[in-house]
Amino acid sequence: MFRIVEDPIDVGALVTGAFRPDCGAVATFVGTTRVDESSCASVEYLEYEAYRPMADRKLEEIGAEIEERWEIGHVSIVHRLGRVDPGEPSVVIVVASPRRGPAFEASRYAIERIKEIVPIWKREVWSDGYVWVGSQIGTRSPA
Amino acid sequence: MDGVKILLFGAAADRAGTRQTELVVSEGTTLGDMWPALVDRHPGLAPMRDTLAFAVNGEYARAEDNVSPGDEVAVLPPVSGG
Repeated sequence: MFRIVEDPIDVGALVTGAFRPDCGAVATFVGTTRVDESSCASVEYLEYEAYRPMADRKLEEIGAEIEERWEIGHVSIVHRLGRVDPGEPSVVIVVASPRRGPAFEASRYAIERIKEIVPIWKREVWSDGYVWVGSQIGTRSPA
Repeated sequence: MDGVKILLFGAAADRAGTRQTELVVSEGTTLGDMWPALVDRHPGLAPMRDTLAFAVNGEYARAEDNVSPGDEVAVLPPVSGG
């Protein structure tokens, strides 16, 4: 299941949704928003946007790549858009496989590929402006 | 209208001052050919050139790929999902 959502992600439901009798391992990766601090300002929240439906299709492509490379029973990737407050999940990846190796490896692969090919962008909204992560362009005055 | 719809995202939308624009192209135009016209209209994009990727009709495309009237072109800054 590959989905881009605007509401909080129900991590527990995604994890239990991956349980299967033919799989002995379920690996979960949760990316949460992190608050950085500079000298006199801090990140208040992150805001995500996507190019849809290309981003939805790229998530599905990553799922297909995983199914080609590893023997797995289940893969879910859910990415959130819009405002995400500090410490909240922005992306959740759940992989179930008969044995633990592929579940660990494929979940790592999924997050790395998301950061390479899925057209999603985030900006850090600071108390004194914002910065697009990756481009380092925004409205904060240079330190 | 022989226009190509151009969508801009993230920092590219900021720099262009818009999230959507349109350019007139003729058959045989490439993505690379379009760039000067886009920068002419939105000069703030110029310094971003080397960091940008492009998509045509929802799939990554290269500068030498063709763009035809009716296509949707997306201007994609470095992605930062996760």
